[in-house]
This record gives sequence, structure tokens and C-alpha cells, in this order.
Amino acid sequence: MNPYDEFAVEEALQLKEKFKGDSTVTIVSLGPQRAIEAIRTALAMGADKGVHIDDPALAGSDSFTVAKALAAALKDIPYDIILCGKQAVDDDCAQVPQSLAELLDLPQAMVVEKLEVADDGKKATAYRRIEGGAKEVLELTLPAVIAAEKGLNEPRYASLPGIMKAKSKEVKNLDLAALGMSAGDVGVEGSKGKILKYMLPPEKQPGKKIEGEPEETAKELVKLLREEAKII
Amino acid sequence: MFELQEQHRMIEQAVRQFCEKELAPQVEALDKEEILPYDLIRKMMDSLGLRDMLLSALEKRLEGKEAKQDNEELDALDATRQDILNSYIIMKELSRVSPGFTMAWGASIGLCGLAIINKGNKEQIKKYGIPVLGFDKIGCWGLTEPEAGSDAFGGMKSVAKPDGDYYILNGTKTFITNAPYADIMVVYAKIDRGQPKKEQPVHSFILERGMEGLTTGKPFEKMGMKDSPTGEIFMEDVKVHKDMLLGAEKDNIRDAAKESLGNERSGMPPMALGIIEKCYEQSLKYANERVQFGRPIGEFQAVQLKLANMYIHLQNVWNIVYRIAWMAREGKQDFTFACASKSYCARAALEVAMDAIQIHGGYGYMREYHIEKLARDAKLLEIGAGTTDINLLTVARLELQK
Repeated sequence: MNPYDEFAVEEALQLKEKFKGDSTVTIVSLGPQRAIEAIRTALAMGADKGVHIDDPALAGSDSFTVAKALAAALKDIPYDIILCGKQAVDDDCAQVPQSLAELLDLPQAMVVEKLEVADDGKKATAYRRIEGGAKEVLELTLPAVIAAEKGLNEPRYASLPGIMKAKSKEVKNLDLAALGMSAGDVGVEGSKGKILKYMLPPEKQPGKKIEGEPEETAKELVKLLREEAKII
Repeated sequence: MFELQEQHRMIEQAVRQFCEKELAPQVEALDKEEILPYDLIRKMMDSLGLRDMLLSALEKRLEGKEAKQDNEELDALDATRQDILNSYIIMKELSRVSPGFTMAWGASIGLCGLAIINKGNKEQIKKYGIPVLGFDKIGCWGLTEPEAGSDAFGGMKSVAKPDGDYYILNGTKTFITNAPYADIMVVYAKIDRGQPKKEQPVHSFILERGMEGLTTGKPFEKMGMKDSPTGEIFMEDVKVHKDMLLGAEKDNIRDAAKESLGNERSGMPPMALGIIEKCYEQSLKYANERVQFGRPIGEFQAVQLKLANMYIHLQNVWNIVYRIAWMAREGKQDFTFACASKSYCARAALEVAMDAIQIHGGYGYMREYHIEKLARDAKLLEIGAGTTDINLLTVARLELQK
């Protein structure tokens, strides 16, 4: 499981513990067959049920189409709060939670380091770090979309009894038809952006050695930093 | 049968996560004997849910309730018993990082705890078995003596003399994992009712730290397995109530002890597997990365042959682990196979660890690269739970008697 998603799952489980019997944690994941393992891990950590969105037509979807499919799935799932990881760790796009909030017309707090949900479950306070080390504190009316940052909590391990129990927990499979979507809405076709190609970072140029007396080399260094590297 | 199921992989992953986050950062201190393993063992039992799982299942068993078999609420420990592969995977994962840590845990729960659970009566299980299984108390299991190693039963000098409702125990046990810190000890002794030594039956007793005449020595300094303290148990006229005898006196306890030995032996292949898997992975990676004479050393046949040999051992040991798990599930017992596979896996672990050091050259000999620790720990697999030699002799003798 993506480490940021782990924080989201842990936060959901802590909320479930706080609100006791009344709450259900549903794990929703979009991805190929192997995504089910991440869902099962979350179920083993203590989540109640899973929803796996999988359809061959989804391959190549960008953040926006992923969010569209998730939003479609959420039409049939009741929610009080939606917790996501702040970003995937493969493409690092960090756009799904925001898009999802917009599509569902919900308040959002991204890159959240600390979350407090009021005892009545109607409001939440989210803390996020902003430039200069300052903290931004947001008050949100629930339901809202929260994207988890590292430090939000210390995710628990999937426990052995949890792993045994996960086997018998419900994981619902949804394809595009079940979401009421068609192939044109998603995948490469439905995406707003197109990935043209992937490239390795350019090879590092060999360094430059400045030789001579300190007085001259210092001058030369300043000149190079200013004119060539353009960093001062 | 020769494949991990999804549930096994999830257990593997959960334990690996724990090991990376919690155990690996402590290994250096554990190996230098600056800290003891027990707090971390407790943390592991709690955070992986092992403690709850073992205790709730044990309680159910004590209540005499049959575990539910339906899928809705599959009893966790029952599933563990059905699929002992789960336990083997935990041992494998721990042994990738620290075989010594695995041993401290296994000796307490697997040897001491299970001896009490399997042979003890209800009261003994409640009073001693539950605290050991939950790791609220540290357990140890003492069979070996200064003059009784491979000849554990024949050479045994520890005696228990009946005295009314009590037995008076005298003797010394040595090389006992956890002995220096154990709260509960399961100790073997010959019951002396005046008959000749050879006819004295061997029985096991539960002893508790603090009993008069019962002391333990300082932890030994060892070559490896330093994460698990090892030491002696001294018994001088220890007065033990007959309630602390495990099993009835008439039982042929040699068979029961051999059962525990079987337990001990079947714990070795998973430990070997952890060592081999880790050494192989690390060697494969290093062979691709390390460049000498202008190319990765993996391109040299001298290294390739070693890697192939490691791979063979890895696959063989996996197959043995799958087979002993299958045997446990099917209720099949094969003492010859247990002895033979224990010998093979121990030798394979040592060979692979030594080859891994060789592939890594000077780096392999350094602590930082972790393999030298695995190699030092691996040597114990050839000595503990019956040396390779005595295990091989047993194999041949059993086969010749067929």
C-alpha cells in the first residue's frame, strides 16, 4: 500500500474507534487486479469492507479520470468523511483528492498533518504546514475530503488475527458499467492530459575544477556561479 | 502446496514491515548485548496481534469450546494450527534480520510455552502456560547438561527424588536459551526411586524463579545468536511440589521429550530459510552493483557458481518448509525426515552465509553489511536442537533399522 494511503487508513480506523459502533470504514481503490492486495491489507488493519474499481478501459487514466471514477463509485457509498493519501508514490501527481472534492462539491484540506474531528462528527479541524514552517489551520464542515501527509499518525501493522479475518470481509468489484460510465469517459481517451513519453534525468555533466591562487579562483568561482550557473 | 497464498504474503509483509521499522534498528545493540530482546518481543506480540490471538485461542481451548469452523468467524489460532506455515513465515522474516531474536522468542513460546500447553493440566496451563504464551513471563526449556549433550537422556545427571508431596531436584542445565532472565523454566530430570540409573524415567518439571535452591548463571559470551541470552540453571535441593510435574509420572516421558525435540527441530528450517533468503537477495544485488575489472562481478563465473548454489539451497529449503508445514497440517510425523531436514537446512544456511560473505569480500566481513552476523548466527543451527552430527546418525540408524 502507498505509504500516504496507510496514514489515511490509520486515521479512518482511529475515527472508527472514536465513534465506536456507529461507523464503518470502507476502502475504495481503483487499479488492476493487484490493487486488491492493498485493499486486503487495509481490511487486515481493521477496515470493514472494500470496493475495488477495476476495468481494462481504466488503463492509462490520469488523475482527473481516476477522481471521476472514484466520485461515481461514491454515489452509492454513504460517507461522513473521505480520507486519501496526499499522492501516489509512482507518478507523484497529487491531484486525485482535490479533483475528487471538486467533483463531489465537498470542502477539502490537503497535505494534512493533524486532524481533529469534533465529538458530534459535524466539523473537523485540519492542520497543514505551509511555507516558512508556519501552520495553517482549517475548519471544515463534514463531509469533507482530507489528504493525509506523513506524520498524521503512526499506522498500525496489519495484525495476524486481522489478516485471517480480512479473508471473509466483503470486497465489492465495480466495473465501468456498474459505475454508469463508458470507456470514452476514462482511460487515455477520457484524460485531460496525455503522457507523451518518460525520460531518464539527463546525465550529470562532469564538474569543473578551478585551479590557481585563492584570490583568483574565488573571483572565477563567483563569475561562473553568476554567469554560467546563474544561481547568484 | 509449493506456493504462498495471499494470506501468507500478507503476514510476510506485515512482519517484514515490523522488522524493518522496529527490529532492524535495534540489531546492532542486540548483537553487542547492550540491550535485551524481551521488550521488543512484547512489542511485536502486541502490534502484530500475536498475543491476543494466542491467548484468546488458549482460553477457548481451556473452556473446552470447539473453535468455530465456518468462514464467518474463523478462529484465529485454529487457523494458525491448521496452517503452521504462518508461524514459519514469521520465523523466516525475523531470521532475515536477527536469527538470535527469533531464538529468544521461539525458546520462550515454542519450547517452554508449548511444553506446558501440550503436557500440562488445566491448572498448570492457567498458572504458567498463559503468562509464558502471552510473554508476560519469559520462559526457557532446559534439557542439555554439561555432560549430557548429544546423549541428552543417557547422560542426564539431574535427579528428582520423591519426598512426600514433593520432589527434591538437583543438577545443572547448560546452554539454555533465556535461562539468565527466565521467570518460568521447564526442566528435565530423572526420577530416582532407588532403581538403577538406566531405569529412571525422565520427566519434566515447571520451575519458577525465586524457588529456594534455584539459581541461574550469567549470560555466556557467544560466537553468535547474541540477541538471545544463553546460560545455566543450577538446582540445589530445589523442593518442587508434585503439582509442578508435567504429565503423569507413569508416562514414558522420553517419547514426550522427543516430541518437544521434534518441535525444536522443525523450527530450524524456517530460521535457515530467513538467513538464506536474505543472504541470497543481498548477494544478487551486490553482484550486479559491484564493479571490478570494469564490469559487475556478477559477470564472473566464480560469482555465478556461488549464486547458483545459493539459489539451489534457497529452493530446497523452501521445499522443506512447505513439506513440514504440509506434514503438520496432515498430522503426519516423520522423525527421520525432521532430523535429516534440520541437518540439511543448517548446513545450507551456513554455506550460503559464508558464500555471501565471500561474494561481498572485505565488505562482507564488516559488521555494517549484516551478513557476518547472519553467518555467526547460522553456525548455531548446526549445533542447537541436536548437532548436525547426532541428527545424521539418527537418520542413518533409523533407516538401517527399517
